[in-house]
Amino acid sequence: MSVLDVRNLSVQYPTENGAAEIVKDISFKVEKGEIAGLVGESGSGKSTAMLAVMGLLGERASVRYDQITVSGEAPVPGKNVAMIFQDSLSCLNPSVKIGRQIMETVRSRRKCSRKEAASRSQELLEMAGIRNPELRMRQYPFELSGGMRQRVVLAIALACEPELIIADEPTTALDALVQAQILQLFKRIVRETGTSMLMVSHDMGVTAALCSRVYVMHGGRIEESGTAEDIFYSPSEEYTKLLLRDARGGSLSGMKKEDSLAGQADKCRAEDEPILKMEHVTKIFDASEGIRDLSLEIRSGEILALVGESGSGKTTAARILTGMLTEDEGTVYYHGKVLDRRKRMELFEGRVQMVFQDPYASLNPCLTVREALAEALEAAACRKSVKTDRDRMMQARTDEKIDEMLRMTGLTPEDADRYPRDFSGGQRQRIGIARALIVEPEILVCDEALSSLDATTREQILELIFQIQRKIGFACLFISHDMHVVRRISDRIGVMYGGHIVETGKTKKICADPWHPYTKQLIEAVPEPDPIRAAKIKAAPVKDSADINPSGCAFAGRCGYAMECCGSEIPEDYAFEGREIFCFLYSDRHSGRRSSDYRMTSQI
Amino acid sequence: MLRYTWKRILTGILSLFVLVTVTFFLVRLIPGSPFRQGGVSEQVVETIEQEYGLNEPVLTQYFSYIGNVLRGDLGVSYQDPATRVTEIIARAWPVTASIGITALAVSVLLGTGLGILRAVTKRRFVRELISAGGMLAAGIPGFAAAILLLLVFSVKLKWLPASGLLSPAHYILPVTALSLYPAAMIARLVGNTLDSELQKDYVLFARAKGIGKWQIIFTHALKNAYLPVLNYIGPASASLLTGSFVIESIFTIPGLGREFVGSITNRDYTLILGLTVFMGAVVIIVNLLTDLLCAWLDPQTRRAYKKAGDSAK
Amino acid sequence: MLRRIRQHWKNYIGNSRMALIGCTILGIWIVLAVAVPLFGPWSYSEQNAEIRNQGASLLHWFGTDRFGRDLFTRVWYGAGISLAVGIFSTLINGIIGVLYGAVSGYAGGRTDMALMRIADIIYAIPSMLYVILITLVMGAGVGSMILGLCVAGWISMARIARGEIIKLKETEYAYAARMEGISPLRILLKHLLPNAAGTIVVNMIFLVPQAIFTEAFLSFLGVGIAAPAASLGTIIQEARSQMMLYPYQMIFPLIVLCVMLLALNMAGTAVEQRVGQHSGKGTGNR
Repeated sequence: MSVLDVRNLSVQYPTENGAAEIVKDISFKVEKGEIAGLVGESGSGKSTAMLAVMGLLGERASVRYDQITVSGEAPVPGKNVAMIFQDSLSCLNPSVKIGRQIMETVRSRRKCSRKEAASRSQELLEMAGIRNPELRMRQYPFELSGGMRQRVVLAIALACEPELIIADEPTTALDALVQAQILQLFKRIVRETGTSMLMVSHDMGVTAALCSRVYVMHGGRIEESGTAEDIFYSPSEEYTKLLLRDARGGSLSGMKKEDSLAGQADKCRAEDEPILKMEHVTKIFDASEGIRDLSLEIRSGEILALVGESGSGKTTAARILTGMLTEDEGTVYYHGKVLDRRKRMELFEGRVQMVFQDPYASLNPCLTVREALAEALEAAACRKSVKTDRDRMMQARTDEKIDEMLRMTGLTPEDADRYPRDFSGGQRQRIGIARALIVEPEILVCDEALSSLDATTREQILELIFQIQRKIGFACLFISHDMHVVRRISDRIGVMYGGHIVETGKTKKICADPWHPYTKQLIEAVPEPDPIRAAKIKAAPVKDSADINPSGCAFAGRCGYAMECCGSEIPEDYAFEGREIFCFLYSDRHSGRRSSDYRMTSQI
Repeated sequence: MLRYTWKRILTGILSLFVLVTVTFFLVRLIPGSPFRQGGVSEQVVETIEQEYGLNEPVLTQYFSYIGNVLRGDLGVSYQDPATRVTEIIARAWPVTASIGITALAVSVLLGTGLGILRAVTKRRFVRELISAGGMLAAGIPGFAAAILLLLVFSVKLKWLPASGLLSPAHYILPVTALSLYPAAMIARLVGNTLDSELQKDYVLFARAKGIGKWQIIFTHALKNAYLPVLNYIGPASASLLTGSFVIESIFTIPGLGREFVGSITNRDYTLILGLTVFMGAVVIIVNLLTDLLCAWLDPQTRRAYKKAGDSAK
Repeated sequence: MLRRIRQHWKNYIGNSRMALIGCTILGIWIVLAVAVPLFGPWSYSEQNAEIRNQGASLLHWFGTDRFGRDLFTRVWYGAGISLAVGIFSTLINGIIGVLYGAVSGYAGGRTDMALMRIADIIYAIPSMLYVILITLVMGAGVGSMILGLCVAGWISMARIARGEIIKLKETEYAYAARMEGISPLRILLKHLLPNAAGTIVVNMIFLVPQAIFTEAFLSFLGVGIAAPAASLGTIIQEARSQMMLYPYQMIFPLIVLCVMLLALNMAGTAVEQRVGQHSGKGTGNR
């Protein structure tokens, strides 16, 4: 008998114009001890379906089904099924200690004394891979890192002693490395406890890494189902193929030209002064955040990517460059000049523009697209003091330019008179790009501009940025946590960890042959949509000591190659043919005295 | 935490000092002399003014007043030279406070209860009834409610006494009139914040892990929902503790509010000043306590201050 | 322009029943407050010793007071004064408050700190003291009442506006505007204030009943508007001495006052609910 057996489940919501069917007559099964996967884009109805299985939908929803059983019985949340959600921070009550949140679950499952519950909780936390559970139980959710919180959530789900755990996008909010750890943990738990798991995800890679049976959901329907091998190696439905194509992310269409351009760019690089350069910049917010002694330069016409996990300081670096933040120490040069630290943003006069992460927060909801774009143009025109004919001629030219820009970013001129609330996330991001580019900036900073978008939309926007950049040729600083995206769009990469850059160089070289241990981990942690390769995914050693030792190498605490000197000295910058690396493995001391024609290779 | 507390106490004292200064000069701006009433001769007025030091330069008066305040002496009432201002406060404040605290308790209990009921109930009718009642209670000014209550229950029905504060029955009308508004506000706040808390993911997760409805409300949601409510209760209790001018005057209750109104109509400088200083101090202290309580209840700020305190050492 | 007005109407009012009732009552109240003293057969101030303390009749709908003045006329005249005081003081308070708060919030740092401390101190002194001072200097009239209400009345608005501006100042679109090189004043006026408008409008609406209430209660204590002018508070206060004998003289103005305040609160709550629903992000694409 299947652990979970759902037959003909439909969910409807009443709306102003009739009922909207979010889930349309779907059936699926999860067998004992297996991890099944349900993939689909956001809005495909997968979360709604899961909540319907749990019986946790609000009163407005009308749920119909022929059968929902867990081992032949009706599902009871907290008894035979448990659920894990995406955002571990909002899942845990912010003002209640971890210990209490897990103990109340233990005690609601079976009657036992406080003491027994406490020791059981510790056991569960340890099982979920948390060291020092006693300390963690006395802490509040906000004091834990994202990965650790997701472990706590898993421990709580395990406290229910369920036959099935439904995990709704459990790793989406996590960094690649942590995600890899959590995925391994899930595998281990399923193996050890015999619990079944239903994994809901939009990420084909994650699904490939975990699941043995996969359901593909689209528009409220299950489009295709089968074993992981079937789905990933011989998909039959068009939609599944599309999903796989977007997940594999073939090369961007302009990429071939890049080789010819690269030669030119190389020439420019040697002669040109970098447009923006920061030297030894330090900005510290908290003990573990901010950037330390960071140097970086952006040259004209190149796409420089900063990649690293959250908290590595890449956004801080971008914000300092744009002047949104002021540095504590260090200097930022613009065409070789130092600009007044406090007024930098104003002194750039629109030549540095930014595309933000959250497309919902980056557009003023009170202005139509036209008004927003026209305002940017006007500000630019005022500066150039071309006030000769600011009447109809000017107006006509503005409109023309706006239309052109909208077309270029894949919108239509008719969209100009609508308000941001009329657009979807991807469209808003296009508007954001249009607004940034209409003033013809020298540098465009994209701060995680793709990370809140769906895979398909992400591909489109990525393509768009790349195309326009190749066409107009502005310099671009591209911030992302996603190695997969960065690898395809950038010319150069800077890998950041703990506020430092650990490795920089040409994208192709770094991705093909990473030298720094962290870069290597980062590249290996990205799950590929390929069950056989994803099964070999390596999780970095579980070291929760994310505490950064300020007197040594930032990464030493998590590095498998750490030597004695790594804890006590800060590695310098070792440069080899266009590649710079901050690791003692590449120091003279470690690699021995080199002859002049010695060619450094990867030491890991 | 301790450092934060000290900082808050210091700013509190500073604001109190500025308050005394500003009020002192404002009161001196009131034209007319407190003694020039009812055909007292110019001669007499001057003698009395001399006696109280009113003919000295204002600055001298100010400094001597500040000196007195620091010694805990708020001066002598001009209207009734036999009593000190501190004595008047000692006499009037317990009266005000007893009504104020009762009203506070009533409004917190009633408001919280109704707020929870509104957020939890599935019956649309109950929800709308509580909302409408809350709007009625919050919309009608306290003095209008007081007069209506008075007209109905003591003039017309003669169930309850109209004035004074002799027996528990005397408390009913003024306490009702006083607590209507805060109770409505608390019910609204609790209802709204609880509503939005119940939408949050941790409630969904708690349900998913099999915790019962009431346990979720009392151990989880209410804890988070009550912080904004406390932020309202703080200032509200400060105003209840300093007395309502109108309620006290309608029900002829010898409390602080009535003394204040009397002191202004009589231009009793020292009494006005003394009462303002005292009320200011009560407001500042209560607000300070509220802020500290809120900071302490919110684990995030508590930990932040703890950390700051540790690193300061 | 017309489109914008309709847009605003839709944004703020929508088709809420509560707002409709509130606005209708307010409309009736305003019409009566203007028409009755102007076109009615009686004068609000003319005394007539022969008809003192008469109960409600066909001739005098609300009866007469102890000086023989027609109470119906007086109550509506008073309601007009109360409304005028409420609306004017709110407008003044709103403008001062929003400007003060916006500047304070946008400037930040020490300027913000100093401006807010000043506001705190003004706020700590009972407004009764201000009103008495001003009445003593300027005489007890409508003007001095409005002025008195404005000394400290703008502060709550300033705090709200400041909070909103501080919140909006950190939004990504505000940064985007700064990056485009738009002047701070323009950012404040075009990007920040329109987005704070919802909160500001809601609080403005609630300021009106508050001001009316404060005025009524000060007049009731005898420190506000005095004869020959009269507000609802004054009328209630005059009736107080013979409350036991002629309660109707108090009940009529009280009811008119309460209904007026309720209508204002209803309108405010309706807008609050509406704007609250609207400010959520992501609601747009549904």
